[in-house]
Amino acid sequence: MADPSLKTKWSRHSAWADILTASPSDAARPCGVNVVAREGLGVAGIQAQRGRKAALSALVKMRYGLELPTTPRAVRDAAHAFVWAGPGQWLLVAEQKESFAELSELAAVSDQSDGRAALRLSGPNVRDMLAKGCMIDLHPAAFPSGAAAMTSIAHIGVHLWRVDEQPYDRPAIFDILVARSMAASFWSWASASAAEYN
Amino acid sequence: MRLPCPHCGTRDVQEFTYLGDANVKRPGADEMSEAAMTRYVYERDNPAGRQREYWHHSSGCHAWIVVTRDTRTHRIESAEPAKPLVQS
Repeated sequence: MADPSLKTKWSRHSAWADILTASPSDAARPCGVNVVAREGLGVAGIQAQRGRKAALSALVKMRYGLELPTTPRAVRDAAHAFVWAGPGQWLLVAEQKESFAELSELAAVSDQSDGRAALRLSGPNVRDMLAKGCMIDLHPAAFPSGAAAMTSIAHIGVHLWRVDEQPYDRPAIFDILVARSMAASFWSWASASAAEYN
Repeated sequence: MRLPCPHCGTRDVQEFTYLGDANVKRPGADEMSEAAMTRYVYERDNPAGRQREYWHHSSGCHAWIVVTRDTRTHRIESAEPAKPLVQS
């Protein structure tokens, strides 16, 4: 975490700066796909130490009040999300940057806050748009509320999960994380794929 | 072809990287010889039929899995983690 007293020419630069430009919201004209850049998140990759998975699970339960998922799912509350990221691995997404030091007693923790670019996608056509590049089935029967997946879209590795509790027939809301260096490429695909719905 | 990743579920083969025969064993120190190493490094069977093979879920969970596949039909018999899951 940056020390504010430290004199440096470097300053934090959003992963979406110079890529996403805000569009004036026009409530009279509903859009098929809505995009929100998720900025200022704290993101950490977490890998349980050998033999410490149960202890880590208990620590997360105590500290965050959340149950670490053991299948491809995301568990979340208003401040934090733990997203399954492979066997014994998770992605911790905090709404605000914070220290993850506590978890490092039981897990390998790597701060990814400035390494990932995050979008929240919603709207009635969000599945149609994602289906153009995503090889997995995002129909609610196959990808229900809370489901998470690591996959690739347009050859770009993505981590995506559902953040809504919408009923079966309502449009879902997805969070998508890509490597920061791929943000411009991902946006190139996403904006072209969503164009016909807006 | 789609592969049933034991962690992620069924995924398109594009998400995986193929390594090959999962039965190859590196010769131990006592059986090490030029001929044994040549066999280990270079020589592979090319079966028309059942094969156990390594796949890496490189665009997914990054786990190695062992898939038993019929090379003629692509019928998948089983897919399991290449190493036992990290001890809980």
